[in-house]
Amino acid sequence: MLQPYIPVLLLILFVAANAVMMIVVSHYAAPRRPTPLKDAPYESGMPPLGSARERFSVKFYLVAMLFIVFDIETVFLFPWGTIFFGDAGAGPGMGFLLVEMLVFMVILAVGYVYVWKRRALEWD
Amino acid sequence: MPPLTLTVFWALAGMAITGATLCITRRSPLASALWLVVTLFALAGLFVLLDAQFIGVLQVLVYAGAIMVLFLFVIMLLNLGRPGPSDLKGPVGGAVAALLAGTLLLQLGGVGSSGPPDVIRMPEGTVAALQREQGMVGAVARPLFDTYLIPFEITSILLLAAIVGAVVLAKRKL
Amino acid sequence: MLLGPALAVSAILFTLGVAGVLLRRNAIVIFMCVELMLNAVNLTFVALAQQLGISGQIFVFFVMAVAAAEAAVGLAIILAIFRHKETVDLRNINLLKG
Repeated sequence: MLQPYIPVLLLILFVAANAVMMIVVSHYAAPRRPTPLKDAPYESGMPPLGSARERFSVKFYLVAMLFIVFDIETVFLFPWGTIFFGDAGAGPGMGFLLVEMLVFMVILAVGYVYVWKRRALEWD
Repeated sequence: MPPLTLTVFWALAGMAITGATLCITRRSPLASALWLVVTLFALAGLFVLLDAQFIGVLQVLVYAGAIMVLFLFVIMLLNLGRPGPSDLKGPVGGAVAALLAGTLLLQLGGVGSSGPPDVIRMPEGTVAALQREQGMVGAVARPLFDTYLIPFEITSILLLAAIVGAVVLAKRKL
Repeated sequence: MLLGPALAVSAILFTLGVAGVLLRRNAIVIFMCVELMLNAVNLTFVALAQQLGISGQIFVFFVMAVAAAEAAVGLAIILAIFRHKETVDLRNINLLKG
């Protein structure tokens, strides 16, 4: 019953072994001559500014929240696509499927227009 | 049921329960969120074992991938990453919580131990046969867009309300 | 069948979620415990779907949609409260208490 998942198991084992190997090998094989400059946090070559624990801006939250809501839309689009573009079989007809998904998309598009008009997608 | 399946099931179940226990007891909200991600991954594995492969994929995609990212964003946004003073309740609150939770577990055990009555059970393998015939996704998709048409359309209105509500709350200057 | 063990795991996870809500004072952690309870119920739906028909799996779709909407709005509310009071500790959010 679990035979189809053997590749998944192999992938997990490979990834874990790879990650452990990279850390362990670089820990023991690399030369280590630390200087204060080398130990400083790397910030693209710039001197580090301030603490790493600064408060993030609320703009990030808006983008993440909109991503989730439209992610849920994808969750419903995916099964719809499998029966709309797959072999028909028993079940609702093509026209019916198309109309119900259009209604769903139009209602969500209203939300999209609202977000656009409220300038929630602009950075400043 | 082959013993290997049972072993995998209990391993995932143990992972889920351990993750949940650590999630409710860690002091730092960041650690709590990361342990909850472990629980959600283990649950995705359990869904796969219970013949719901598509739901398992969605679990990783939506819960572990999107909802928990939002939680982590808010924790970073509010700068709660460092373990501050403990927000766990004291001994009295803990005792009350343990008492209520224990009672609930007893009640759930009483309800769940009997399982569903035989009258409403389908013959063994009905769902598995449906999934073989229509595919893993198709077996879920057909009733979703047919029998559950109205809930599906109402979901879009719910999501619209969520978009508007979150934008209004996050954009307003308080 | 795995139905019995799955229901047992689901009950334990739900109880842990309830215990978390009762035990913590941080609004975000309490919210995460609510998500944990939703997931425990999802496990019940999926486990019972094996014997009672595929509808159980469809309910999980709607639970996920509701959870996403809830997370978006709930966290926005927590953000708004934080901007107003500079805390997410429930002891300090008690304006409605007489």
